[in-house]
This record gives sequence, structure tokens and C-alpha cells, in this order.
Amino acid sequence: MDFRTISPQTTEELLEAIKQNQGKHFRFGAGYTDLIPELEMQMENGLIVINLAKLKDSNFTSIFLSEDGIRIGALTTMTDVLSNKHLQKFPVLIEAVESFASVQIRSVATVGGNLCTASPAGDVSCALVALGAVSEILIANGQIRTVPLTEFFTGVKTTVLKKNELLRSVLIPHQKSAERILSGFIKIGNRNSMEIALASLAYHITTDKNGIITSAGTAVGSVAETIRYTESACEFLLGKNMDQLSEEDKETFADNVLKYANPISDIRASAWYRHQVLWNISKSIL
Amino acid sequence: MANPLFRISLTINGQPVQADVPATLRLLDFLRYDLDLTGAKDVCGEGECGACTIFMDGKTVNSCLILAVEADGSELMTIEDLSHGKMLNEMQQAFVDYHSVQCGYCIPGMVLSGEQIIKDHGKPDRDTIREDLSGNICRCTGYQKIVDAIEFAADKR
Repeated sequence: MDFRTISPQTTEELLEAIKQNQGKHFRFGAGYTDLIPELEMQMENGLIVINLAKLKDSNFTSIFLSEDGIRIGALTTMTDVLSNKHLQKFPVLIEAVESFASVQIRSVATVGGNLCTASPAGDVSCALVALGAVSEILIANGQIRTVPLTEFFTGVKTTVLKKNELLRSVLIPHQKSAERILSGFIKIGNRNSMEIALASLAYHITTDKNGIITSAGTAVGSVAETIRYTESACEFLLGKNMDQLSEEDKETFADNVLKYANPISDIRASAWYRHQVLWNISKSIL
Repeated sequence: MANPLFRISLTINGQPVQADVPATLRLLDFLRYDLDLTGAKDVCGEGECGACTIFMDGKTVNSCLILAVEADGSELMTIEDLSHGKMLNEMQQAFVDYHSVQCGYCIPGMVLSGEQIIKDHGKPDRDTIREDLSGNICRCTGYQKIVDAIEFAADKR
């Protein structure tokens, strides 16, 4: 590995580092669990790493409740998410973190890193998309712009982030109070742990006291170029009674989820298999 | 342009340590080559195998995926700090008693992950032990005896 490092401690220093290096090749280092193996494998000439590990800005480093929702700083680790009391009401997110890599990697890997790596197989990213979370992006001029995570990913390993921007936090907006929550993360892989998903489904569905579905968020991973929010499947569920869904309803829901899948065949699974398994797990959650 | 050195100050096994390190130095290499703490092993180098596991600020991490500069200000514990002189701690002794060790290369990481499992779960069932050991790979024993040892050490504590 060969690179130079800048370690900003304050947001001002960080913004200055971004401005100073606009003409150069730089990358951000947060948890380094992807960056180090990538750089060990292939050197990048003239690389400057802007190290975020020393940054002291609670907007980046903490999880807190605010008026508009729960804000998760981009530099919070997966272990931080697991132990946060506000986030326990989102089983989809907790289950996604639990299925993510290993205990050791969860200690350092960050939520922002998972999003910005923009892998179509990102577990935690998939859960956040299902929850309707919004990315809050810091621009080098100090301003913030927001982009819903449904529009954040533009392709395999690419996002809407420009060279003078970085992800500061994600906001999970407050949700309508719900009588019942059906929420979880299903990850299909060849083994239980340390696995990259072959297909995954994140879902967070709420009902009122009569069982009527009042909100529905589902997202799929590893079956398209990016993680996808399965909008028409969510819309299909709204207003239906959760306890009276027919077999046909469940299949229509699964058909709708599949509209967003355009999987490839690769070393880990065939496109056919990914289609089949996604349909099956989609139907099974209802 | 020469790569500048960074001054880092941290606590390792209870001792304060200061050093000037290049930005690219991995924490694992710092421990093994600069401090001669060779208990953490360099195997896969990409966070799959867990042989380089150490405790950083009370949590297990893969030291091959951490830069020495990132560890500035932190508190580290390596396998070398677990025994009291020649007295093994309960987890280490359980690994001996259950014959959990063959080639031994993965064992420092396994023992530390065992410690983390007890910290997180108290007296875990076998499925939990297996799940939380998923970041540590052993190619000799088939895990059975490693899980036995951790289960025993957890029960005893």
C-alpha cells in the first residue's frame, strides 16, 4: 500500500482538505474494512486518503433522536447500531446488522461506509432503503443537501456523491405510530455468516389496530445493479388487511417485488436461482 | 514526496506506547514488527480469518484492517496480556483441557473471540458461540472442540 493521509479533526479541517484536493485523487477512509483489502490488491497512484477516524463531529459520529426522526451519523459503527436503544424498534435494521460480516468487522465498519461503497449486496444499506431513510450530504462549502436513499445509488459502486461532497448522516424519518410491525431482513447465502448475499429482502410493514396496512417499505439486494426500493409492491399492500391476505395477494406482492429484480448469473448463483428464491422469500414474509 | 510520519500515542496491554509511524502501516504490522507482539497472526490480510484478532477499546477487531494511525488514542489488548505470567486464564486453560488446538495458528484469535462472546452473551448456547465465531477460521479442528472450550469457560465464569 502506498498513499498519503490527511487526518482532519474538525469539520472545518475536513472541508478544507476536500477543497484543497479537488484536482487530486483522494478517497475517504472510515472503517477501512473495504479500503485496505482494495489497496492491498491494487495500488492507486498518487492516492491521498482523507482519514475520517479522527473526526470529532457528533453529526458524523453519533446516533440521536431529533424532531424529524432518528439520525445515524455516517461514522457510527455496526456495533453502535446494534446497541442503540432507539434503533431496536427497527428489527429490519438490527437483523441486517446481525447478518453483516463478523463481530470483529462490525466493531469498525461504518454505516456510511456501507452506503458509500454502494455494493448491490449491502445488507445495512438495503434495510435503510426499506425504512425510507434519507441521506444528508455535506458539501465542501459547508451546506447540506438531502437525497432519499431510493435515489442515492446510481450503479454498482457508484452514488450521487460528487467529488466535493461526503455523506454526513442518514435520517430515518419518524413513522406513524403503529399497532403492529412486521419487520425483518432475509439474506440468502451459501452459509449463515460472513456471507455476501445471493439475494436479500428487507421489509418494514406497519398496521393499525384493525390489521390494516398503513405503511410498507420493502427493498431488495443482490438482484440488480443497485439496491432497489420495490415501490409497486409496497403500494400494493397499502390499505389491505394483513390478516386477510389471500394466496393470490401474496403472489401478486411477490410478482411486484420481482419487477425490480434484474439479476446476473455469476460465480455465486445463477440469475434463475436468484429470481426463484426472491419470489419465494417475498411471498413467505406475509 | 516522502511520506510523513505520524505520532501516535496509545495504551497496549496496560503500557503507554508512543511511536512515529507511516500512514500506510497496518496495526498488525506495528504490533508484530515494531513491538514484537507476535501473538496476533498475519494470515488472510482481508478480515476473513480472524487470526489477527485483538481487543481495541474493549471490542474485538481485525488488526490487519486497521491502520496504526487509526489506533491513535485507543486502548489495545493482545493475547499476550491474557495470562498472568505462566498462569493461563480460564479461556486459555479450557482450550488446553479440551484439546482445541492443532496447528495453533488461529488460536490467539479464537481465544480472544471467546472472551468477546462471554462479554456479549454471558452464558451463550452453542449456536450463539458458532455464530459469533464466524469471523475466525480454523482449518484443523472442525471447531467442535473450540466451541466446547468456550462453552466450558463461559459456564465456569
